[in-house]
Amino acid sequence: MNIVDIVYNPWFSGIVGLILIGIVFVCAILAVWLERKFGADIQSRIGPNRVGGRYGILQGIADAIKLFTKEDIIPAKADRLLFVLAPIIVLGSGFMMIVAIPFGAIVIGDNVYPIAATQMDISIIYLEAVSALSVLGIFMAAYGSNNKYSMIAAFRNTARMIGYEVPLGVCIIGVAVMAQSLDIVEIAKAQSPLWFVFLQPLGFVIFFISILADMGRLPFDQNEAEEELVAGWGTEYSGLRWGLGLFGEYIHMVLGACIMVLLYLGGWNLPKFLTGIFVLGSLMPIFWFVGKVVAIVFIIIMLRWALPRFRIDQVVDLGWKVLFPLSVLNLIWAVALSLVFDMFFGA
Amino acid sequence: MMTVDIAGIGELIMFAVVSILTIVFSILVVTAKDIVRAALSLIVALVSVAGIYVLLNAQFIGMVQILIYVGAIGVLILFAVMLTTQELKGGSDD
Repeated sequence: MNIVDIVYNPWFSGIVGLILIGIVFVCAILAVWLERKFGADIQSRIGPNRVGGRYGILQGIADAIKLFTKEDIIPAKADRLLFVLAPIIVLGSGFMMIVAIPFGAIVIGDNVYPIAATQMDISIIYLEAVSALSVLGIFMAAYGSNNKYSMIAAFRNTARMIGYEVPLGVCIIGVAVMAQSLDIVEIAKAQSPLWFVFLQPLGFVIFFISILADMGRLPFDQNEAEEELVAGWGTEYSGLRWGLGLFGEYIHMVLGACIMVLLYLGGWNLPKFLTGIFVLGSLMPIFWFVGKVVAIVFIIIMLRWALPRFRIDQVVDLGWKVLFPLSVLNLIWAVALSLVFDMFFGA
Repeated sequence: MMTVDIAGIGELIMFAVVSILTIVFSILVVTAKDIVRAALSLIVALVSVAGIYVLLNAQFIGMVQILIYVGAIGVLILFAVMLTTQELKGGSDD
């Protein structure tokens, strides 16, 4: 049995997928901690500093234990079925995305083994499709909890998602055209010397803004604007159900950063002389990939604490009137550039 | 030979599950009292249709089905439902 048989064995893929779900869950807990601690640092506060030593690094685990032990309240007039299913769908959409995302790769010689549970021809379309499922979960949460603040939040969330899925999709088409593949592994490999962020800077900016809106991160978190809507769609939730929704959002943030790195920032690609080093070289692409993801997460968190929140009408205006035309322009640019590349360097 | 049989039976079971889901939720779309539940049932039925496409080895169409019918049209239907007049259950005190 050689290594290819092991890598494509379904049992092996299943175990890899379970391990990846665990790792992403831990990363989401760390992202919650990072958001609190780093946000406190930005605002010259102390932040979590008791649990787990000076930096409060175990604060996330303490929070999780607290959520586990809190009372689970379902409002009397709630639609119980939708109320119970909603956080599961929000979290499930994140888990379905984990299946297709390669979290780095192991490079042995000329062979690249991406660390992903599955290999699909169309993984980028799959990711786009299942990430859109979370908006249904948020809608079900809002409608099921029978609360006016939740309904307003769901209304805003839906309006925003309709507006921002379109430029996001058009940007992804631009990347796919340039890489000539819908497979996210092939897209990452296609950026081997030159990252797509240098070839399509406009596309990267649009993609970044759209995916921020997609994840519901500030300045696009009108669906849970604490000052106006109590807690948005999660107003009636408590305990572990609320925790599931919260983790769903943070998992979306981590996975969004991963997709951004894979599509625009070169993925795990390193020059040959670095990956040629015996054991370290085959593991280095993982660290390179994870490092870039952490940098993106840092930027996303910094944006949250630095920028004010837009009004919902401004957000929808930005999506339809600015980002959508610009994304089409970027698509034209990407197609033209690919044609020129083919003309000069193609076969 | 054995593995082929197991794969065939698995496919049959999956087809049965997905088609029953499609039929049940299609019926729920027209019988549901609550318009939001009808819309959500429609979305589940459309996802099940995507499952049938994937079983027929048309993964691309299956994914595009989810992308367009669930991500775009389903969300638009829910958006339109939210624009209709609806009252929250109970709660005259708030």
